[in-house]
Formats: sequence, C-alpha cells, structure tokens
Amino acid sequence: MLMQLGLTRGLIYQAAGTVLGMVVTMVWRLLAGMDLWDQEVVFVVGGLVGGFAFMWGVGAIDDWLEWCRGKATPLVHGPPRDKPAWTRYFSTDYNHKVIGIQYSVTSLLMLMIGGSFALIFRAELAQADLQFLGMGMYNKLIGLHGWAVIAAILLGVGGMANYLVPLMIGAEDMAFPRLNAFAFWINIPGGLLLLASAFLGGFDAGWTAYPPLSTQGAVGYQFLFLAIYFVGLSSILGSLNLLVTILTMRPKGMDLFRIPIFCWAVLATSLIQLTATQAIGTAFLMGLSERALGMGFFDPEGGGNPILFQHIFWFYSHPAVYVFVLPGLGIISELLPVFSRKPLFGYRWIALSSLAIALVGFLVWGHHMFTSGYSPYLRVPFMVATLLVAVPTGVKFFSWVATMWGGRLRFPTPMLFTLGAISVFLLGGLTGPILATVASDLYLHDTYFVVGHFHATLFGGFVFPFCAAIYFWFPKITGRMYNEALGKLHFYIMTPAFWLMSIGQMTVGTMGMRRRIVDYDPTLGGGLVEARHLETTIAAFLIGLSILIMIYNLVTSAEIGVRAPANPWRSRSPEWQIPSPVPEHSYAAPLQVVGEPYDYGLEEEYVVMDESQAGHAQAH
Amino acid sequence: MRSNYRRHFLYAGILVVVFTLVIQWILDLSLPLPDIQGSAQSAAIDNLIGQHVWLIAGAGALVLVIMGYSIVAFRARPGEEDEEGDYFHGHSGLEIAWTVIPLIVVTIYGVIGVQVLAQVTAPQDNEMTVEVEGLQWSWRFAYPEHGEFQTVEMVVPVNQPLLLSMSAVDVLHSFWVVEWRVKQDLVPGITTELRVTPTEEGEFQLRCAELCGLRHAYMLADVRVVSEDEFDAWIEEQLE
Repeated sequence: MLMQLGLTRGLIYQAAGTVLGMVVTMVWRLLAGMDLWDQEVVFVVGGLVGGFAFMWGVGAIDDWLEWCRGKATPLVHGPPRDKPAWTRYFSTDYNHKVIGIQYSVTSLLMLMIGGSFALIFRAELAQADLQFLGMGMYNKLIGLHGWAVIAAILLGVGGMANYLVPLMIGAEDMAFPRLNAFAFWINIPGGLLLLASAFLGGFDAGWTAYPPLSTQGAVGYQFLFLAIYFVGLSSILGSLNLLVTILTMRPKGMDLFRIPIFCWAVLATSLIQLTATQAIGTAFLMGLSERALGMGFFDPEGGGNPILFQHIFWFYSHPAVYVFVLPGLGIISELLPVFSRKPLFGYRWIALSSLAIALVGFLVWGHHMFTSGYSPYLRVPFMVATLLVAVPTGVKFFSWVATMWGGRLRFPTPMLFTLGAISVFLLGGLTGPILATVASDLYLHDTYFVVGHFHATLFGGFVFPFCAAIYFWFPKITGRMYNEALGKLHFYIMTPAFWLMSIGQMTVGTMGMRRRIVDYDPTLGGGLVEARHLETTIAAFLIGLSILIMIYNLVTSAEIGVRAPANPWRSRSPEWQIPSPVPEHSYAAPLQVVGEPYDYGLEEEYVVMDESQAGHAQAH
Repeated sequence: MRSNYRRHFLYAGILVVVFTLVIQWILDLSLPLPDIQGSAQSAAIDNLIGQHVWLIAGAGALVLVIMGYSIVAFRARPGEEDEEGDYFHGHSGLEIAWTVIPLIVVTIYGVIGVQVLAQVTAPQDNEMTVEVEGLQWSWRFAYPEHGEFQTVEMVVPVNQPLLLSMSAVDVLHSFWVVEWRVKQDLVPGITTELRVTPTEEGEFQLRCAELCGLRHAYMLADVRVVSEDEFDAWIEEQLE
C-alpha cells in the first residue's frame, strides 16, 4: 500500500538520488585527480540530484517525459481507480482542489514545525542567563524557525490561491494543471533539504544568512540555499500559473473589476512572486557558488562586498513580505462583506491598492539596510518610498471599517478571525513608519521591536486570515461543519495571547534588547525585561496550544461534523452556489456573470450557471 | 438606520479622540525608552519616537474605534438574523480623502524624519576620531590623534563630538550603545562612520547588534564617558 503512494516513491528516489549524486561527484573528483572528499561540492550535487529525483519518483514529470518521447497523455481527472480515494492526496494529482489541500496541509505541518522551533528558544528566553540551550544551538534554531515558517506561509498562500482562484472565477482548473502539481511537489524536497540542513551543522546567521558569516559556516548553508532554490522555483511557476488563470480563464461577463476581490490580491501577489523571487535565487546561488567554487562575490577576502548580498537579498525579501500578507488581506476583504451583509466598500480602491502596494514594494528594500554602511544618500529615498506604503495600506483599513459600518454583523469563527486579523495587522502596519524613519530606526534596528513589528505583520497578514479562510471554506472542502465552540475557543486563546506576545516583544525592544541573542542583560528596562520575557513565552505557548485545538477541531469535524449545506454563510461567491463538498469538476455548466460580487442587500445574483451548456465540463 | 448615521458619527468621533489619548498612554507605558539620554543624538531620536507614538495612537484609535463601534452598534441583534445591512458600496469623496490625508501625514512625518536625520548625523567642527575594530567576539579601540595604542575599553571625554571610524576583521558587527541610541554596522573590507556626542558621564556598555556567530550575545565592551581632565590623565596612562 505504502509503495503505491507517489510520496513514498519520491522520498526513496530522493534518498537514492542524493547518494548517487554524491558518489558520482566523488568518482569524478577522483578521476580528475582531486581530493575525493570536498563536502561543499559533494553535498550540493547530492542535494540537487536528490531534489529532482524526488520529482521523478513522485510522478510529477511523468507526462512531460512521455511528451518528450512523442506520446500524448490525457489529463486524468478524478480519484484513482484501483486505489483508495485518499491516496490521491499523497500522489501526483492534477485537480487544483486536491493540490490546494496538499499545499494547505503541508503549510499547517510546516507552521507547526517552525513554531515548535520558536517555542524551544522562547522557553530559553523566559529567563536571562543560559538555561538549557547552547549558544550555537540557539543561533541555528532562529534561522530554522524563520525559514520553516516562511516556507509554511508560501505554502499557505499557494494553498488558498490554488483552491480558491479557479473556483471563484468558475474555471474548471488552473491553466496548467501539470505545472501546478510540479510547483507543489517541488516544495517537499525543498522542505526536507531545509530541515536536513540542521543535521549538517545548520546555518547560524539567522534566516537572512548575511555573509561573510554565511560563507564561513557549516555545510548546512548549502542545503539551505538549495532548499530555497526549490521553494523559490515553486513560487515562480505557481505565480505564472495563477496569473494566466486569472487573466485568461474568466467566464463571460466577468471583467477584471468583477472578480472576487481575493483574486485581485492573488494577481498582485503573483506579479511580485514572478518577478522578485529570482533575486533571492540569485543571492543564494551566489552564496552557494562562493562556498562551493570559491567565487568571490561577498567575502572581501576574495574581492567581494558583503553589502551586495544584502541588496540582492532584500530586493526579494521585502516584496516577499507583501507576498505573505496580500492574499491574507484579500481574505479579509472577501469575508467582511459576507458577515457584515453589506457590499465591499470601494471595491476598485481595494483592488488597486493591492497593486499599488505590490509596485511600491519594489522600491523600499533599502529600509532594511539603514545601518548597513551603504551610501548615506540612499537613506532618504528609501525612507520616503517606505512611508508611501502607508497610503494604499490605509485605503484598505478605511475601506474595511466602512464595509462594517451600517452592516448587520454576525460573528461566527471566520468573522472573529477576520476581525482579529484587522486588529493585529493594524499593530504591525502602524509600527512600520517608525522603523521606516531613518533616525528612529538607528535606535530600533536589530532590536526586539523589529521582531514584534514583523510578527504582528505576518500574524495579521497571514496567520489570522489563514485561520479565517480554513474555518470559512472548511464546509465547502469537507462537506461538514467545524465545531463552532472549539473554533471560538481557538480564537479567544490565540488573539489575546498574540497581543501579549507582540507587545511584549516591542517592549523589550524599546528597552534596548537586541534581536538574535541567547542571553540578555536582566537590568534592562529597570529590571523589568525578564518579566516581559516570561509573559511573552507563556503567550507563545498559548498560541501553540490554540493551534493544536484548531487541528483537533479540523480533524474530528472532518469525520463527525454536522453535514454542511451548500451555502451556510449565504455568500454570493460562485463556489457557494454548488454542492458541498465541491464535485470533482466543480461547475456542471459554464458560469455567467449577471451582477456584482458583493451586492449584499440586492436581490440580483452575482453569477448564474448557463444550464443550456450543462455537461460541458464533463465532456471536456 | 440611515437617518441615525449623524449620531453614530458623533459618538464614534468622540470615542476616537478619547481612545487616541488612552492608546497613547498605554503605548507610553508599553514602549519605555532607556532613562539615560547619553548623547546629543538621544533626545532628538526620543522625541521623534514620541511623535510616531502619537501617529500610532491616532491612526490606531481611528480604525479600532470605528471597528469596535460597528461591532457593537451594527451587530445583528436577536431577530435580525436574516436581515441585510444598509446598501451602499463606496464613496469616491471618502476614498480620495483617506488617500490624500494619509499622504499629507506621511509627508509631514517624512519631512520631520529628514530633519532629525540631518540633525543626528551632522558633522561637528572639533570632532575627535576614535577607531573602532570589531572581531569575533570583542572590540578594540584606537585614538589616532593621541598616539599609537589600542585598548579593549572605550574611554571618551564628555561633550566631545566623536567620529567613530569603524572596521570589522572577520564578519559583520554593529556598534550600539543603548544610551547613545544610534547604531552603525561594521563591515569587513569597508570603513563605516558613526557620529555621536556623549553628553552624560558614566559607565555604559557597547553591545554588538548584528548577529556575528557563536558568542554574539556576549560581544560587549565597557564604555566610560569621563570629564576632559580624566580623559587626558587616561591618555597619559595609555602612553606610558
């Protein structure tokens, strides 16, 4: 049974491919008269070959290989015939709904792994002095936490976009289903390499991996670089697919200003992913080849410049923040009208503000580098550009509260998480200008204040909306309702705990505590710094507990939850007009747009199915 | 419902003002800056942070109050479960207002930010150069204008504008004395500069603020700010 799963085959192939790559490299080195063992080169080739061997083993490139041999392959849709239906979730499957769930479940798993790393060093930080964690281990865990969670966020974004976009625009699937499956599965060898790096000495320069520290550290860095290369490839291919899907596969009458607003967020996100991800690929490829081949890009000893890395790195990594949060903000815009029973206020402004954030986001990377030692005259333009981000972000906030104003609000779990998301993202957003302003950043840069700021941004922009989305679409995905009481319990634990944690981080930051230190001076803040840390640690564990409650809720409700009606939220969005769970081919007939997406309070529908062409989808 | 909006706006407006003050007060407690303003740069930066706290409080109150007010005033009451909200889907005037007003606000904050930046980085007439060298995981200091010697503690005269000329031996480090507020990275292969004028005598700690490997948390050095006479005596001592 296990061997029938693509995942199992992929893992075996990856292990074999890694060993094969390493052996071939060593033999080649031997024949070329070099030392047999050079861990940098041997592990890089092994990791690379192993990654692609996984893709072969899992079956994600089967059809393409057939095409290379001149054979056409039909696009098979539906559960496997000779195996149990659940096996499709562990094998290559081309249905976007399956892929969306694969992304989302992997995301939750990775989020819990990354969160657990944080809990380990959070426990260490509960008191000053060294408790149980060594200095070296601490430095490795912070980087691992960072990248594991970033990978989880990218997976979550992919999950929401893949599941929802084709449903929302009434497309049968994504534009390129095979590419879609490939873009998901490439994350698995990527994620494994990332976690495996811990066994090769890890990477001890934090998630930013600044050289020269990163060019001198253990060989674990090479697995990090490769891992991000794979995950980045997923971002690029996935975003390409989403762009083409949104731009070309909309039904009749659905012009761009009539698509569900989440699709606008995905559109803006995909533009960033398609064009910026290459930069981090470049930065890490340069780091990889500096280490493996001795190319002097960053280390001044080889004629390089460490600041160059920071420019290339942040050219992706700042826009990446908008990749993390824009889809979540789209979820907020999507859910508020449903539970306020009122049209989305200023649809066009919200849609265009996503694009504005995406575009301005390309011009602000230097605000991470105010103290880096780059030319001082660069500071002011980057400060001004960064402050400008507040304007389109403000448009979103004001439009959201205007959407609620005058509504008939109701508060099931998804709405609670939406409101939590707004409040937490507000905290993250408003603590931005103080960091964007150079003079105040000279004090706050590299302190815990920054840690508090970006955790609020990412929880408000991703974690809370992701939870809202999971609860909201859970009935559509599984055909069963989640447990409302447990959902609310999750919310009422996580939200206050998060506020306590984030404010606590900011507090110790203004007291003068640096980031990324295993031990701190207990006299900071008049001796109050330890108490704040203890609170922050307790809060972090409460967040972990609340996530476990959610997982329990989802797993049990999928089994024994009350049967969900087709449209429990009385939403106007197309996916709620078809049965729960969504049938294999989603829509029995092509959609026709006859109204506006968020006209709650009006009788007219948003979409109707063109019954005259029923059966079109199956015939395809 | 629609006819009552004027009353709702009035109540919400009053609450926004009240909550601006409340949030500002909470933030003042939650974001404590170090008591000692140890440099000529400290006060300017602290003031700037204080001004930003007002921005956070005001904008935060605006959004949170309208959100909270809606949650209370516009919730579906028992018996309204099937009711829809009031139908309106936008207002160009409002949208333009909340685009233009934030634009003006961030422009003002940008101008203030540029002024403070110019103030805290301005070169002074009688600067004294101190050469700072960072290496895993310690600091070295040299005083090229006072002779050829290196120390592991930093001793500087009070009210003397300093030009720190900094370099790193191995990896990135960052120079940060909390009481002086400003910080600057040290980069291998490049000389970076930081201007600071200590204004408080006392013993402080220099801490590395850029992750630099195993003992980064403990990359510290003592910093003593002393009177001019004490400094001269210390220099004599070093030269012996």
